[in-house]
Amino acid sequence: MSEPAASPKTGASPPESTRTGPGRLLVAVYGLFALSASARAAVQIGTKFSHAPVAYVLSAFAAVVYILATVTLSNGRPTARRIAVVSCSVEFIGVLAVGTWSIADPATFPDATVWSGYGSGYGFVPLVLPIFGLLWLRHWARRARRASAERAIVPSAGDGGVDEGAHPARSPVRSVRDPE
Amino acid sequence: MSGAVPTTIIVYSLAFAGFALLMTALNRRMGLTLLVGLGVLEILLLVLVGMIVARLADGGRPASVPTLIGYLIATPLVPLIAGFWGALERSRWGPAVIAVAGLASAVLVVRFHEIWPAIHV
Repeated sequence: MSEPAASPKTGASPPESTRTGPGRLLVAVYGLFALSASARAAVQIGTKFSHAPVAYVLSAFAAVVYILATVTLSNGRPTARRIAVVSCSVEFIGVLAVGTWSIADPATFPDATVWSGYGSGYGFVPLVLPIFGLLWLRHWARRARRASAERAIVPSAGDGGVDEGAHPARSPVRSVRDPE
Repeated sequence: MSGAVPTTIIVYSLAFAGFALLMTALNRRMGLTLLVGLGVLEILLLVLVGMIVARLADGGRPASVPTLIGYLIATPLVPLIAGFWGALERSRWGPAVIAVAGLASAVLVVRFHEIWPAIHV
């Protein structure tokens, strides 16, 4: 496969981010849930809102959370990662709360949401997805901390593998200028 | 509507997802085989969409028409988006994305049957 002329950074492979590697799968599954939750919420709210208002509002809320997670995880910059941590946490709490509520008080849920019964209608994927999301984000938070610590101690030992948002001045040793 | 096409899609997409997962397990990257398999899945899904649209044109109606239309639009997008997203990845996780598309397609066909039982499986 021919390599397109990449951004003026070092290395042949695209920079790693929360959207590469296992993150590629994570973003795909989040995208799938963003699509299905928002479609479901749109149809429910648009056609029969009075039938089960609580369930439909929660469907819409779940849709927003999934969209947010998909966008922030595929972005991968430090600010996006921080938002992703919040949205994955809210998602996890939401699955647990709505799951418990739907079992304790089924009358409020004449129609299902994505998170009803802890996501049982979706093979419990909604229950495990935020766990994997948070683990993946923790992996990246640690990696970023390690990278910034290394840069602080040995400024010239830039490994080039981690590309953090706060670009420190490039070390003089590596500043071979790319022709632009 | 005969159940041959939906059943074929379910069997094919599950087998295809299994193959893609095997590629992930074997640490393979995206290759031509997976993209061709994805193309076959896309064609099968478009055939199903065409059959359902023909049935709608004949005057058949499911309980919830908006839901069905949403599925008719979203379903053919799944292999397309998965193909682009998976092709961007240079590791075993590319085939894993394709596996998700296979599993999702099988689920979507089952959902078509639930939305409109006239679509046999």
